[in-house]
Formats: sequence, structure tokens, C-alpha cells
Amino acid sequence: MLKCLKTLSWLAVVLLLCQHAQLLADIEKGEQLYRQCQGCHSIGPDAPNGFGPQLNGVFERDAGSVAGYDYSPAFEKTVGQGLRWNNTSMDEFLEAPMDSIRGTRMAFPGVKNADDRKELIEYLKHIGLDGELPLTKKVKAIRKKAQAKISPLPAETLIPQHGVLHLGRAALDEEILAWDIDIRPDGAGLPEGSGSVVDGTELYDNACAACHGIFGEGSGRWPVLAGGQGTLTEERPEKTIGSYWPYLSTVFDYVRRAMPFGNARSLSDDDVYAITAYLLFLNDLVEEDFVLSSENFNSVRLPNEANFIADNRQQEMPAADAAEPCMSNCLPQPARVTQRARILDVTPDSNDDESDTVAIE
Amino acid sequence: MDGGKVSEKTANHKTVNRDNGGHNSQTPHSAGVSRRKLVKSALTLGISGAAGLTGLKAAAQPDRQPDPLITDIQDWNRYLGDGVDARPYGHPSPFEKNIVRRDVAWLTADSKSSVNFTPLHALDGIITPNGLCFERHHGGIAEIDPASHRLMINGLVDTPLVFTMEDILRFPRENRMYFLECAANTGMEWRGAQLNGCQYTHGMIHNVMYTGVPLKYLLAEAGVKTSGKWLLPEGADPSHMTRSIPLEKGLEDCLVAFKMNGEALRPEQGYPMRLVVPGWEGTMWVKWLRRIEVGDKPWHQREETSKYTDLLEDGTARRFTWEMDVKSVITNPSPQAPITHGRGQMVATGLAWSGHGKIKRVDVSVDGGRNWQHARLDGPSYSKSVHRFYYDFAWDGHPMMLQSRAIDEFGRVQPTKDQLRAARGVNSIYHNNSIQTWLVGKDGSIENVEVS
Repeated sequence: MLKCLKTLSWLAVVLLLCQHAQLLADIEKGEQLYRQCQGCHSIGPDAPNGFGPQLNGVFERDAGSVAGYDYSPAFEKTVGQGLRWNNTSMDEFLEAPMDSIRGTRMAFPGVKNADDRKELIEYLKHIGLDGELPLTKKVKAIRKKAQAKISPLPAETLIPQHGVLHLGRAALDEEILAWDIDIRPDGAGLPEGSGSVVDGTELYDNACAACHGIFGEGSGRWPVLAGGQGTLTEERPEKTIGSYWPYLSTVFDYVRRAMPFGNARSLSDDDVYAITAYLLFLNDLVEEDFVLSSENFNSVRLPNEANFIADNRQQEMPAADAAEPCMSNCLPQPARVTQRARILDVTPDSNDDESDTVAIE
Repeated sequence: MDGGKVSEKTANHKTVNRDNGGHNSQTPHSAGVSRRKLVKSALTLGISGAAGLTGLKAAAQPDRQPDPLITDIQDWNRYLGDGVDARPYGHPSPFEKNIVRRDVAWLTADSKSSVNFTPLHALDGIITPNGLCFERHHGGIAEIDPASHRLMINGLVDTPLVFTMEDILRFPRENRMYFLECAANTGMEWRGAQLNGCQYTHGMIHNVMYTGVPLKYLLAEAGVKTSGKWLLPEGADPSHMTRSIPLEKGLEDCLVAFKMNGEALRPEQGYPMRLVVPGWEGTMWVKWLRRIEVGDKPWHQREETSKYTDLLEDGTARRFTWEMDVKSVITNPSPQAPITHGRGQMVATGLAWSGHGKIKRVDVSVDGGRNWQHARLDGPSYSKSVHRFYYDFAWDGHPMMLQSRAIDEFGRVQPTKDQLRAARGVNSIYHNNSIQTWLVGKDGSIENVEVS
């Protein structure tokens, strides 16, 4: 009997350990998935509100309750009905935020895979009010173990013949293909594919508009993407794809390489064609029925291409003047102050401690 | 420096001193100065020093109390401090807690694609401590295990290659000191004086001793084809930062660096490896370097078209403006480091640098650029590294308009703000290397101003 009990309790420990490992694995996957949220949300000690509210201790929190965050009216209305973040409500919201709460500022298409949502919620559930993940240390230890299991590549029996010192190994075609994604103005590097302005509209609204604005007008200090034609000589030039960028290849390359902010390399090639087409449309450079493809890409020119010149700084004055600089009486009368930074008052405080404030009025 | 140059400089100093009776002479210390002169000037200094002391005594002696910091036994004199196990990785004194990198929140949309600034006003010498080197990220700091990092070379090469960190450490390596300046350093000051602090006006620069492998060795392993003319380095961070660099520059002096000031690169500076592009604008120094492609034409990437191109007044824009031009600034005193000791002997110090080579000379003005004196360069002088200068003088307590002006070994002279604006307008953002003015008030407070 006693033996039986012992076995049982041992089994319970094993079971607990297994569950624990599963939980850790879920949290870890959730942490990876969370990366796509980082563009707008923050987690961590003193996490600030970004485009979205900070998410410290979000689980079991009343929706819409983060101090200092400006919620959309739609969200506030839902909150008024007593929404609280738990497994069910989070799962529903994350699946399709914009359907779940129509009018939310969260311009994000949603996490479509139920397992992904479960893991993401598991991760968020464990984030404390202090923004810390208490299991972090354990997760890290497990990661380390997993990495240690990867056996090293078998030692080369032959010394490679390339180069001078014969260091490094030949890159495989698949490896080059995975990393070499750059596009040149002459179209070199463009992948096969196409995308329409119509498809681009939806993609853009979901993935880009939160920062760049519905019409590419930019939100806050995020880059403006459209408009500004004819402003380059004005006092406040607006440098956009249509008004400033010389080449369309740069748009395609950059969107594919680095966008959406916080979820780079998540768009398919066709998605990138469609978004690029839509950006052309926003800049009044193509019609609504336009389809951009690898075939017609090179026929599109951006209006400002001709206005870029080579670096000629060394020919401009005063660099071109090799004369010895003046040493005395270089101004006809004593210098006088014409502008003061103090008037603008845009300098951040340089001291963390008020008592240390320096003697500047 | 050869002897002839030194004596010429000494002669200059003498002239300067005659013209400005209030300014103390600098201690002669070089080979070109005779022993007799040395003794004589030491005597002069001694005499004036003694006179100063006598004056102080006369003024302050009667009611002076002994300094309790000397007469009392302080806690740190009596009680034992931390042992060697308390600080396995050392950090600055708590009394230096305000000397940190700082950002200007309103400049950018998000801290993950933003910049902060080196506290130049509090540093001396030419080395920037690793923890104070300004940061500029386009997609946050990539945290990379070196064992999971790869560097690929592909494109117009005989054998596209993949290197591990271990491979890189098997190449011959070199140590070199270089400044890294963001092209947008001082970019907020084009329209006029805006930010009140040397950290903010000039802090997008750091100067570091790099250990790394000359890029030419890595390229030689892959074998660059004769059609190869350009390089495209790429980062492993979420911005996958890319810039086009002429092959010539890559072969001339670029490094793939893995150490800074003797220790591993900091994550925010591209750990485990970054590209070093001496003298050229900071965005080209790709961090978290994972790939270098060889091509026959430039790629015109986002950071060399939409950004880092210099819009001129007529609406045209310069592109591929790589070199950082000759520049200097007085770092201390400056708005964050006012003069607190009143009139009398003081030190003004600053940094000078040129992306073309070495600094030959720095001049300092206390009257807004009307009259100039030579400053004293001190410390090692390396090409494309910052140079430290000092101007030792006695302040008469009147307001000053402090300026510095650098001249590099090719005779390039740092321009005034008005000269740059006349040539380029005010919308270039990048490459503002103009002369900075600090207005010193009677109370020693200091402000960023413009003068004419």
C-alpha cells in the first residue's frame, strides 16, 4: 500500500514536471509570437504606452483601463459593458480585433491560428504588473539545454580550396536565396509575382495604416508616404515616395526587408507587389485598376529621379577655399547674438535628480 | 611633429600671449624649447602662482574655519568597503549617475527606431567608454548568440562563403582607433540654435579602438570577380540595414570588428560583429553584420535615397555623401557643464575630427569668431579619430562667445553656420559641420546661441 502510494506520488511529480515543461514551451512560443505586437505595445518595467497601451499585467485586467492611454470611442463603449481580459475574451479579440470591436485603433488583422492565440495568451497571462516574466530564468535554462543538444557539424576531412587562408565554407544556394533579397533600380533581384492596387488597399489598411495613416499622411512622427509633390524647395519640404524617392525598387526592397515595423519578412512577395502598387496609387502615380508585377515593374518611374546629384561638397565654398583662415579682427564689429536655444525650450532635462540641477535658469 | 613646427607654434603662442595679456601662457614642453626658456617660464609661472596665493590669503584668512572634510574622520576612512566580489563587472561611481546617454523623445516616433546621445560634456581624452557610445537603431537592439551568428559573402565572387564567429577569429586582426559620427549629428541646428547641450547638438559621435579583421581578407577568401565594383553590407536586425559602399573603400580601410575598447562589442553596437567604415557616415557601419554582397552597381537602398541624402535649396539632393567633413566643438564648458568657479584660470576643452584624415590645428575664439587663438592638441593623433584640444586661459568674468574651429591635415577649415547655409539652405538635415557658439553669461551659465 505504502509502495503504491509512493509510486503514485512519484507519478504525480513526473506529471507535474511534464505539464510544467509544456507550459514553459507554450510561454516561450507565445513570447516569439508577441514580437509582432511590439511595434505598438510594450511590456517591461515602466513600459510606456505606444501606439497601443502597455500590456503589463493585462490578463485579468479590465479592458480599457490603462492610465494615460487614449482609447478609441468604440473601445470605450465596449469597456462600458464590463469587458475583462480572460482566456475567452482575449481569444475572441485576438482572432480578429477589428471585427471583435469595430472601430478599435488596433489595425491588426488578427492571429488566425487557435494554437498561436493560446500560446500568446499563455505568455501574456504570465506577465506581471511589473512587466516581468517570472519564469524567464527557467525558460532561458531550457533554451540553453535545447541549444546544447544541437550537435556540431562533422569536421571537414578536406581543407577547402577557396581563397588564401581557406577559411569559411561554401554557401548553399538555398542559403543565398534566403538572405539575398535586395532589389536594384534596374529590377535586378525582383522576385516573380504581382499585386493589385485593390489587394494593396486591404493589406495596407491592416498592416501599415496604423503608423503611416490611411492616406499615407503619417501618424505622429511616423514617416509620411504620400503627397508633398512640389514642396522640395519650400520652407518645410515633405519628402515622400511621390515627392522625393528616386526609385520604385527602393519601396519594394524596403517593404519586403523591414516592414511592417515589428514583423519584418512576414509579407509574401505578392503582398509586397500589392502594397507597392497601392503606394503608387496613394501618390497619384497609377490608376485604381493598376496591377504591379515583375513584368511591368521597370516601366514605372518616380517623378523625382532626375533631381539627385553626386556629392560635390568639396567644390562648394568655403571648402574650395584653401586660404589660411583669418586670425584677428575677422568681423567688422564685435559679434552679437542673433538666436538663442533657450527661447525654443525643447531641450530635455539632463539631470535625473532635481537637487542636482545645474545653474541654468 | 618635427622641431620646426613646434617652434613655429611656440612663436605663435608668444604672439597670442602678448596680444591678450590676460591669457596665461601654456607650459612649453616640446623638444624645440630651450632649457633656459623652460626654466624661465617655470619661474614666471611660480611667481604668478605665489602672487595668487598671497592674494587669496589676504582676502580669506581671517574668518576661515578648518575644513571638516580634513579634520573629521569620514565614513570611507573608517569602515570597510565592498570586496572584490561585489562588482564583477565594474560600473561608474554613483556620483556620476547623471552622466548617461540621453535621448530627445520628440525627435522620433518610437524608441526602437531612434537615437540617443553621448554625454560629451562630461568626457575627456579621446576614448568614448563603451556604455556611453550613442545608439542609433532602426529596429531595436538585436540580441544575438555568437554561436547562432553567420556572415555570408555572396554576389560577384568566385566562391560564395559562410563564416562563423569562430572562422572570423582565425583571420589576422588589427587594432585601429576611429570616430563614428551619425550624418545627422548637429542636424537639428540647421535653422538655428535649438538644443541646449553639447550632448544633444554634437553627441551623435563616439570614438573607439576597434579590433577586427580587414574586410579585404574576407573578400579575398571569396575572390571578388573583376566585374565587382560595389559592396552591400546587411545587418541581421529587423531593419536588415543595408548601404552601398564602393569596393575601393572596402579594400582600403574597412574592418569587420568584434571588439571595442578591448572587450566584445556591446549589443547596441552590433554584437557580435559590425562593419567599420572609417571617416564615413555612421549608417554605413552596419551593425549585427550578417552579409556582404558584391555587385557591379549601387543598390539605392532606403537609407541612401529616402534618408541620408542632402536636400539643397534648389530642390536637388546630393546622394552618396559619405565622408564626414572637418568639425569640432567645445565640449566643456557647455550648457550642461557651466562655469561654477567664477573668474580666473580655467580649462576649455573639446573634440575635433575629420573624416578625411588627421586634425592639424584647432583655433578657439572667446568673442564669437572675431579673434582666434591656437588651442593645444593633446593625446594621440590618429587619422579619422577624434583629437582632444585644450585652451587654458584666465577668464575675466565678462560674457564670452566661445567657438572652436578645426583645420585638418589637408587644410580643410570648419565653416561657419552662415557659410554652410549660404551654400546649402536649411533643409539638408545631414552633414552640418559648422562652428558652434556657446554664450557664457557673467554667472558662468552657458547657452547655445548663434552670432553674427
